[in-house]
Amino acid sequence: MQIEDAVILETRPAWEGAYITWFHAPSLSRGVEPGQFVMVHCSRERTDPMFARAFSYYRAEGERFALCYAVVGRGTRWLSEQPPGTPVRAYGPLGRGFRLPAAPSNLLLIGGGVGIAPLVETAWQAVAAGHHVVAMMGARSAAHLLPASEWPREVEYVVVTEDGSAGPRGFVTAHLGSYQAWANRIYACGPNAMFQSLADTLRGNGRRQSPEILMEENMPCGWGMCYGCAIFTRHGVRLCCKDGPRFNLFDVF
Amino acid sequence: MPVTPDLSVDLAPGHKRGLLLRNPVMPASGTFSWGFEFEHHFGPEGIRRLGAVVSKGVTMEPRAGNRQPRVAETPAGMLNSIGLQNVGIEACVRDLAPQWARWETPVIVNVAGDTIDEFGEMARMLDGVPGVAALELNISCPNVDTGGMEIGQSVEASARATSAAVRNTDLPVIVKLTPNVTDPVALARACEAEGAAAICAINTVLGMAIDVDRRRPVLPRARGGLSGPAIKPIALRIVYDVAGAVRIPVIGCGGIATSRDALEFLMAGASAVQVGTATFANPRALLDVVEGLEAWCAAEGVARIADIIGCARPAPVA
Ligand SMILES: Cc1cc2nc3c(=O)[nH]c(=O)nc-3n(C[C@H](O)[C@H](O)[C@H](O)COP(=O)(O)OP(=O)(O)OC[C@H]3O[C@@H](n4cnc5c(N)ncnc54)[C@H](O)[C@@H]3O)c2cc1C
Ligand SMILES: Cc1cc2nc3c(=O)[nH]c(=O)nc-3n(C[C@H](O)[C@H](O)[C@H](O)COP(=O)(O)O)c2cc1C
Ligand code: FES
Repeated sequence: MQIEDAVILETRPAWEGAYITWFHAPSLSRGVEPGQFVMVHCSRERTDPMFARAFSYYRAEGERFALCYAVVGRGTRWLSEQPPGTPVRAYGPLGRGFRLPAAPSNLLLIGGGVGIAPLVETAWQAVAAGHHVVAMMGARSAAHLLPASEWPREVEYVVVTEDGSAGPRGFVTAHLGSYQAWANRIYACGPNAMFQSLADTLRGNGRRQSPEILMEENMPCGWGMCYGCAIFTRHGVRLCCKDGPRFNLFDVF
Repeated sequence: MPVTPDLSVDLAPGHKRGLLLRNPVMPASGTFSWGFEFEHHFGPEGIRRLGAVVSKGVTMEPRAGNRQPRVAETPAGMLNSIGLQNVGIEACVRDLAPQWARWETPVIVNVAGDTIDEFGEMARMLDGVPGVAALELNISCPNVDTGGMEIGQSVEASARATSAAVRNTDLPVIVKLTPNVTDPVALARACEAEGAAAICAINTVLGMAIDVDRRRPVLPRARGGLSGPAIKPIALRIVYDVAGAVRIPVIGCGGIATSRDALEFLMAGASAVQVGTATFANPRALLDVVEGLEAWCAAEGVARIADIIGCARPAPVA
């Protein structure tokens, strides 16, 4: 774990109510596995709120990293409003990320809402390693989609919206179509309802893959000290921050 | 010529085994897991910087802990209802203690019995185990249905739990008090009388938060234990009162996040301090407190930190 005052370089909208913020922070940007996360303090004095917030790495590149986050409360609002040059205390990288296969493979990435964030870094690393990548994003509407320009050119980007304003209408897990048969591996991140529906869908199709997923829990510390982030799995209770956030879909859902 | 200040403190001066720490700073139980995450991230040298390590609460049987949500952030603090998730005493003795034995830093095991007999039984199981330097009796956990705080809220039951542990081990026995009583001093005196080597004060303060949107308590068990800077003045008052009433050392705990917080407790009469919730917000909190105490002693010309223990107390009347 590295601790550093990450300096905000720029913040721009990702979609309605969500932002992408780039930070300069050499020690926090090196050796990041896709799916790992960083704890970011979302207040200047670090007293209110006192605890850092967990964010997946959206990108990590050279001496810089980026987050893609939805504004859901006071911490994320504060972060989205800080001007470039603001130092923000952060520590990471933490947790266990996705394991990509050694040989070039067909990878299907499935993201629900802001759960798409870690899949973007995953796609960049996967493409660099020679994998074929299809990324599917489920969102509320066309106004809540990550722009296609955020993905590496090699990635096929498929969008599904709940209201049908872009792509097919409904939940992303109802539109896996032929991609499921094509994929050697599936990686997913999103709300628990999406994981449940993915598990149900794959069970119905004979469970050809056992997806790796990234889960979320309240994380006061992020490094295995507080036991606040417990996740109950078929193999017993696990800490999301330390044993995860990567889990096997069928161990939990 | 500046001299390196002597930060060592003895937490069990009257005890046959003693409990000598290189400095008065240790983690609070339940905020440091079993110590291995800290070793992983800060290395063996990180562990060596601490006065002691204090384990998570251990129970007779393994426990999965409470369901989610287990924590709620509150102003300058947090409510927790972890529910003593732990591996159980047998795995502690078999798997954890041999790893602790690698460290020079003494490890204090926090034991949480459901009954008075369990405190005696667990003390016996930990007696003579290499890697275990002392016990801390958790008679003050608010997040379980039995034992815990019920014992710690009764002077008589606290005394019996202390005596059950002391009779079953040669290790120094520290008793950790709950603040959720009218008269912590009476509890401390009763534990001292039964052979406690030291008193630790305080465990978490019972509290609660309600989710207005859901119109329900945030925590499934409604109540939780409040910790963090919000409870520091309460903890300091109790340490001050207890240190004035017992002869055994007192370990201060509650809301300590900086070396100046630690100094307040030492000046109030604590011989050592525990840093808990602060570690969640700042992974370096323990190391910052150690370094801050060293720097303060050097700057103030304090050669031995033991000399400032209780210095804010009124002079004893002759
Ligand atoms: C490993 C991990 C990776 C994450 N990655 C991202 C990411 O890439 N992008 C992103 O936008 N968000 C991510 N999150 C969620 C993010 O941590 C929360 O949105 C953030 O903590 C909210 O802080 P706040 O102060 O704005 O909200 P608060 O005021 O603290 O809370 C607002 C609402 O969010 C809920 N909430 C608070 N903390 C969490 C949490 N940790 N997880 C889920 N809900 C929470 C609260 O219950 C409340 O309903 C991640 C969480 C984890 C555990
Ligand atoms: C998440 C959490 C878990 C805890 N678990 C234990 C425990 O197992 N045994 C115990 O005696 N105290 C436990 N405590 C209480 C702390 O050791 C400490 O007494 C209390 O948090 C006050 O100190 P602080 O404000 O520095 O955190 C726990 C506290 C927290 C926040
Ligand atoms: S967030 Fe503290 S143990 Fe996982």
